[in-house]
Amino acid sequence: MEEVNHKETPLMTKLFKARKKSETETVKDSNPASKIAVYILLTIGSFTMLIPFLWMISTALKSPAEAVAMPPVWIPQIFRIENFARAFEVAPFGRYFLNSVLITSISTLGELLTTILAAFAFAKMKFYGKNLLFTILIATMMVPGELLIIPNYLTISKLNLINTYSAMILPYLASVFSVFMLKQNFESVPNELYYAAKVDGTSDFKFLWMIMVPLSKSAIVAVAILKIIGSWNSFMWPLIVTNERLLRPLPVGLQAFTTEAGTQYELLMAASTIVIAPMIIIYLFLQRYIIMGVAKSGLKG
Amino acid sequence: MIQKPTLKSSLKSLLYIAPMMLIVGTFNLYPIVRSFLMSFYADYNIFTGEVSSYGINNFIDIFKDPEFILAIRNTFIFVLGVVPASIAISLGIAILLNRVQVLSGFFRSIYFLPFVTSTVAISIVWGWIYHSRFGLLNYALGLLGFSPIEFLTDPSNSMLALIIMAIWKGLGFNIILFLVGLNNIDGNYYSAAKIDGAKGWQRFTNITLPLLGPTMFLVSVMGVINSFKVFDEVFALFQSRPGPAGSAMTVVYYIFQKFYQESQYGIAAAAGIVLFLIILVFTLVQMAFNKKFVHY
Amino acid sequence: MQVQFKDVTMSYGDKEVLEKINFTIPEGKLVSILGPSGCGKSTTLMLISGLTYPSNGQIYFGDKEVTKQDAVKRKVGMVFQNYALYPHLTILENIMFPLKMEKMPKNKRKERALELARLVQIEEQVDKKPKQLSGGQQQRVAIARALAKEPSILLMDEPLSNLDARLRIEMREEIRRIQQETGVTTVFVTHDQEEALSISDEVMVLNEGAIQQNSDPITLYHKPKNRFVAQFLGTPVINTIKVADHPELLNRLRLSEIMKPEVQSIGIRAENIKVTTIESEALLSGIVNHVSRVGKDTTVYIEVNGHSLVATNLGVIPEEGTMIHITADIEEIHLFNFNGKVIELEAVK
Repeated sequence: MEEVNHKETPLMTKLFKARKKSETETVKDSNPASKIAVYILLTIGSFTMLIPFLWMISTALKSPAEAVAMPPVWIPQIFRIENFARAFEVAPFGRYFLNSVLITSISTLGELLTTILAAFAFAKMKFYGKNLLFTILIATMMVPGELLIIPNYLTISKLNLINTYSAMILPYLASVFSVFMLKQNFESVPNELYYAAKVDGTSDFKFLWMIMVPLSKSAIVAVAILKIIGSWNSFMWPLIVTNERLLRPLPVGLQAFTTEAGTQYELLMAASTIVIAPMIIIYLFLQRYIIMGVAKSGLKG
Repeated sequence: MIQKPTLKSSLKSLLYIAPMMLIVGTFNLYPIVRSFLMSFYADYNIFTGEVSSYGINNFIDIFKDPEFILAIRNTFIFVLGVVPASIAISLGIAILLNRVQVLSGFFRSIYFLPFVTSTVAISIVWGWIYHSRFGLLNYALGLLGFSPIEFLTDPSNSMLALIIMAIWKGLGFNIILFLVGLNNIDGNYYSAAKIDGAKGWQRFTNITLPLLGPTMFLVSVMGVINSFKVFDEVFALFQSRPGPAGSAMTVVYYIFQKFYQESQYGIAAAAGIVLFLIILVFTLVQMAFNKKFVHY
Repeated sequence: MQVQFKDVTMSYGDKEVLEKINFTIPEGKLVSILGPSGCGKSTTLMLISGLTYPSNGQIYFGDKEVTKQDAVKRKVGMVFQNYALYPHLTILENIMFPLKMEKMPKNKRKERALELARLVQIEEQVDKKPKQLSGGQQQRVAIARALAKEPSILLMDEPLSNLDARLRIEMREEIRRIQQETGVTTVFVTHDQEEALSISDEVMVLNEGAIQQNSDPITLYHKPKNRFVAQFLGTPVINTIKVADHPELLNRLRLSEIMKPEVQSIGIRAENIKVTTIESEALLSGIVNHVSRVGKDTTVYIEVNGHSLVATNLGVIPEEGTMIHITADIEEIHLFNFNGKVIELEAVK
């Protein structure tokens, strides 16, 4: 059965595999010199992109004197891994880290659950007012999230949830964007498969989890990773609903650390590395899903 | 097979959408309505939640507030500084990436890297790069014979610092969209153009650019919308302040300040509505533009 | 299981797809539902399956009414045009899937699935994923899966149309063999008349939501009940001649005076047209327009008063441009009335 994966592969092929048509173009029209020029430009560009990261890691491993040395030192004499340990001492980064892991994982799992169910209903089930409801939901994507912060803060405080994990998790347990993405994907699963499963004796619920979800694995992973990145990096909302130090997720903790660390740039950079590194690791392993998610969201948005 | 909804199937579907609707209803739909109402609160007791009167005072107030005018101005400067430059650079890189096979994926991964990083964390890194005495950027400028620039402490440079960083952070996202767009252009057009005698640059202006219309539209709309919402960068780059002497005040920062620091909910909501309207108008204008100039 | 429809009507909104149809599918037979696209044949199949329910009327399986029962209760097996195999499961898992839903114990499930894989001759592929199989093999798997739960009835929705011509003929024979080996009542939906005629015990021709004719393939071909059936079956399309254009026809057919005003047109299949040398015996006379020879087949196009007739079995091969006289046996001539219905020949004689 090809039609299911079909939907994803052309895109993936485009981005990751053979670029057949442009190949013929390049081969014909570019002489070696222009090809070298292209590579030189790309190398300079990517180096520029990498400088902040390299500089961050380099500073994170320096002694205080090296950090402010002029001219700048790129490779410290000794790699001071202990800067990381010191950062953990000066501020509870271990706790921040756990908070971030907790908030990110619960909101991601929760969102997957709610959106998979809803996307399935929108993609394959029949109910009154379906199109109207979906249109309304899509329309809300136009509204900037920042506008919602004020009433949401009031709702959270009314629920007595200020300074709780729930405050940081609850509003993110569902996402219209993810419903939209998954609905598109679920719709591409042919109806015959649904009928076949019906004939074979599955309920709608079983069909969703036994057939639909495994078939839409890559779209679900893409949605999940985009969510993880967004959740991990989210800043304004946790900043607003928490003022207790031990509840802070990493970005909020890091921001507070800038005043706590003062001018100890090597510690500040070590702390920044702690915040950035997990997402980069996830990115390196799962980048095809992330890029697919971005490309798809772009195609539809 | 078309089948009409029934009461039974509707009830069943309700079970599936209920959890999502509960969250979205509470934290997306309801607040939209509530924000609109709040922006018209004229007299409001924040402790009891009582509203004694409604009116457009909040809107009048913010437009009389020089800080808000500055916020709007800065936000526009930010959008104009970031979006066109980002589009030009990312399109250039995407075309270069599209022309090579070896290492293309590797380069793409690097350009995309900033997308996954925390804005706050990377802003702190940039703050360090911008440092007037020990910063890498001023050192590099010094090598080229320029005197150091006070990126973060001189009010006239704060927007520039913000814009450079934002372009850097957003490139990867645009590059991906452009790569998809470029790949959707049928290679036969290029062959045909070559037969017709079009040179490299002519092929770019006559085929690539026009056929990239929809992608261009998409990238610019998303760029504009995201740039209008700039906040995290400001907060982290200028150590929880809207830039030196408030010089990098943006609309979202203004909302945050009025709401979180000054508890002026009505004012904050009104500013939020203005932001929404600006984004809406921009999107509609871009859509109209797209309809007019992108044919197919 | 015998299936019976009683006054079944199906409408979507204002659109009636099936209008009060009645039929019986006898137990153990292979019955085709044949018709052009949009005739309601797929809807009929969906109604039999229990995946959709009729707007009106009753459906019986045996003597039990199943109108409101779903597909699982009716225990139908179904094969789809695009096979609808679960792409993430192996062939064996696909065949076992309905049994798993029935909560059959795992080892029994596997035994049964292997047995079916043998029946459809794909036992060597059972560990592969559907994508690794050819279209024909995938269709075999789909049949095995549909048969796994010992269905009361096997439904096939255009099962061969995604296959290439050669495979289609091979699979056609396979379906016939499997049906006969298992004896399962089978309903086969197709738009391909040749497929329907070659495979089925009975063919039900559907058009515009109504049953045109329901009979065995031979009767269907030789004794169509109306002009639609006569024209839908057979290649080349049956020659129809309007009586109004050839008033002499009625006399030459020696119809009774009562019959004459009722006949609107006559139909003669291309292979039934014969040449005669005696002009008085001829039904029609015309000029040979074109003779086309493809391999062993010779097709002759004859122009009669501006209309073209096709003959494939003339015996002699005339020269282009010559005048010939043609006739046909009275049993092979179909008379249609003004409603397009066939006037029974018995009544004529």
